[in-house]
Amino acid sequence: MQAIILFGVLVSTYLMIIAKRLPALISSFRIQSFFLFLATLSIAVNERQLDLYIISGLLFLIKVCIIPHFLYRIIKKIKVSEDVGMLLNVQISLLFAFFLTYLSWALSGKIISIGNQAQVVVLAVSFFAILTGVFLMIFRITALSQIIGLLVMENGLFLLAATVSGGMPFFVEIAIFFDVFVSVVIMGFFIYRINKLFTHIDVNKLSRLKG
Amino acid sequence: MGNFSLNLLFDPLSLFFLFVIFIVSLPSAIYSFGYLKGEYSVGKIKLSWFLLAIFVLSMSLVVTAGNALIFLLAWEIMSLVSYFLVVFDTKHEKSVQAGTIYIVMTHIGTAFLIAAFLILYKHAHSFDFTAIKNACQVMPSSIKHLVFLFLLIGFGTKAGIVPMHIWLPYAHPQAPSHISSIMSGVMIKTAVYGIIRFVIFLLGVNSLWWGGLVLVLAVITCLVGIVYALMESDIKKMLAYSSVENMGVILLGIGAAMFFLSLNLQYLAVFSLVAGLYHLVNHAIFKGLLFLSGGSVYKATGTRDMEKLGGLIKVMPQTAFCFLLGAIAISALPPLNGFVSEWLTLQALFWGAFYVPVSAKLFLTVCAGMLALTSALAAACFVKAFGITFLALPRSQSAKNAKEAPVSMRIGMFFLSLMIICFGLGASFVIKLLTRVAGTATGINVSNMKFSLNNFTIMPQAGQGVYLSVPLLACALVVFLFIGWIFYIKFLRNKSRTYTTWDCGYYKLDARNEYTATAFSKPFRIAFSFFLLPYRKTEKIRESFYHVKSFVYETHTTMVFKKYIYKPLLGSVFKTAKIMRNIQAGSIHLYLGYIFVTVFLLILFMNKF
Repeated sequence: MQAIILFGVLVSTYLMIIAKRLPALISSFRIQSFFLFLATLSIAVNERQLDLYIISGLLFLIKVCIIPHFLYRIIKKIKVSEDVGMLLNVQISLLFAFFLTYLSWALSGKIISIGNQAQVVVLAVSFFAILTGVFLMIFRITALSQIIGLLVMENGLFLLAATVSGGMPFFVEIAIFFDVFVSVVIMGFFIYRINKLFTHIDVNKLSRLKG
Repeated sequence: MGNFSLNLLFDPLSLFFLFVIFIVSLPSAIYSFGYLKGEYSVGKIKLSWFLLAIFVLSMSLVVTAGNALIFLLAWEIMSLVSYFLVVFDTKHEKSVQAGTIYIVMTHIGTAFLIAAFLILYKHAHSFDFTAIKNACQVMPSSIKHLVFLFLLIGFGTKAGIVPMHIWLPYAHPQAPSHISSIMSGVMIKTAVYGIIRFVIFLLGVNSLWWGGLVLVLAVITCLVGIVYALMESDIKKMLAYSSVENMGVILLGIGAAMFFLSLNLQYLAVFSLVAGLYHLVNHAIFKGLLFLSGGSVYKATGTRDMEKLGGLIKVMPQTAFCFLLGAIAISALPPLNGFVSEWLTLQALFWGAFYVPVSAKLFLTVCAGMLALTSALAAACFVKAFGITFLALPRSQSAKNAKEAPVSMRIGMFFLSLMIICFGLGASFVIKLLTRVAGTATGINVSNMKFSLNNFTIMPQAGQGVYLSVPLLACALVVFLFIGWIFYIKFLRNKSRTYTTWDCGYYKLDARNEYTATAFSKPFRIAFSFFLLPYRKTEKIRESFYHVKSFVYETHTTMVFKKYIYKPLLGSVFKTAKIMRNIQAGSIHLYLGYIFVTVFLLILFMNKF
């Protein structure tokens, strides 16, 4: 079961790397979040803890339903082109992603002792998700992909916390959800403003603001 | 942080510095009533009182902190508040410039202090003074040397030791006068407190070169300070340079104490420290007074340039009297307090030369000689300051129309004048008290040490040395003045008559024919030309060969430290900054990339090890 879930996270992350249009990016993010939800749920079922059930419910509500919906709405509202604006094309991005996968695998192998293969895989996938988030933030031009990059990083961290250490304390978890939600709302608002002011959301051109 | 507590220290050393802080701050505060009125708006006056209160409180906290962290916090508050006070005259662009130089220099100093404190913390595992003192006894001596150097640079920047003095002549004159008096009189003294508290009290002097280094720096500081003061014609700037010189004199006492401590000459160490501390409180008082009376002149005439003053003794006799008293004291003329402390310092150096091993004899003698030279130059400097500012004919209309300072300003000045006389005549009592302070600082038992009362020599030599007593000198002065006066009444009064100065038949002598400050300092400019590097600029505009329409003549001295140390340094900083600017493209992706590459490299690094 866990293997399937991890595989799903990995594939959805790759999907994000090769996504060329913003809706595709958002829906891949939705898929990744859904697999994350499944992972949390499976832990909750195993451990029979009310906290984990609530957390997985919140995860589903916020990351699978509300945030993607909100992002879709922004795209519709600001009516920019749906292109994510690639600084690296799909092929090179994919090569880069392979390299990142290898890097996170090597790293997690270093951290966890050799006997525990399952843990190594989980750690590698989480690292990969975090690195991909950074990758998306760097090599995609539009501000919306920057938000998604941040969310992907957050997902990776969540996976790391949930599977490797059995989850963070309940209140921390709740607080993080709230933080993520608020930050998405704020950033969405910023994008709206940037678009209004510059008539595009190309972050590269913000360098004109430099003194 | 370990065990952190706000414990204050009230040993004799701290109490002495508290006394110094309040003896200058109090009259300065009273003085500011009159000084601020009319000069600034009501809101600004309120702000100045607020800043003044915080300034004095933070200085008090600096000298009473029993914990290095509290000390550092108070030190930083003190620096920041004094910065705000320096830039208080926001109208003048010069104030802002002076403030910038000041805040940069003071933070360089603080950086060194933080480094030193962190090293101490690493060994003591606590910022508490007692814990640090215990740790210092087992600290390896190489680390001790390092900490000493850091502390010296850190505190030296605040104290204005050459070559870290450059901020002082800019910042001190630019502040309102009562603040200048507190800054020059008290704030730079907190650095001396730092040196005594941290180097002598906590760290413990263990090498001869520490004292030697401080002595060398002190001698250089003395000479450089006074030579620059002599060249200056801005009255407050001149006083600021003179502060540099006096810090040198104080450090001569402190440095000699460190020197003797490492040679285990306990009597001499305590005696030198007493001399240094005595000069410290004296300088606080007379420099406070001089800045206050200089401020009165500035308020009355609107200028600080001596070349535009003159004849003020007739319109502001009381201010002139106070300035004269301060000038006599700072020139170390008996029977006032400056004489006592400089004499003590000289004595300490001379007796030191008797007792130290042969190789150091010459060194201490040279130090004493340089101190004597400094005192003589200081006297010349203040003859110029008083003569040009207060005597002869007024050189400008504003000097002619000046009015005596208001009562509150005069109260402040008279209080300090009184203190000058008290500290001069009550020398034996003061020395007794200071011996106890020096005892705490050095950790030497001083209960059976007596530096005999009216005999300014050290115990073992009591009765053999020169016999000297300030009250006696004062009596002698009074008697001689009385005799002179009688002589004048008896023989000369009838023969003298009042007439204008003989002008070789020119008949049109006016203020423009007077001796100027620049002219007065010319001989010294020539004598010290190897260091001052004077140059002149002339500009002639002529209609024909025989008719010169206008002629401009300027003479300047080269600011050696600024030109050869600070300018190249600043240039290289800017050059590096320009190179660093290339990586700042302003693109978000690039910045994210930097972060990513850093993380990536760190991961690689981790994999490697």
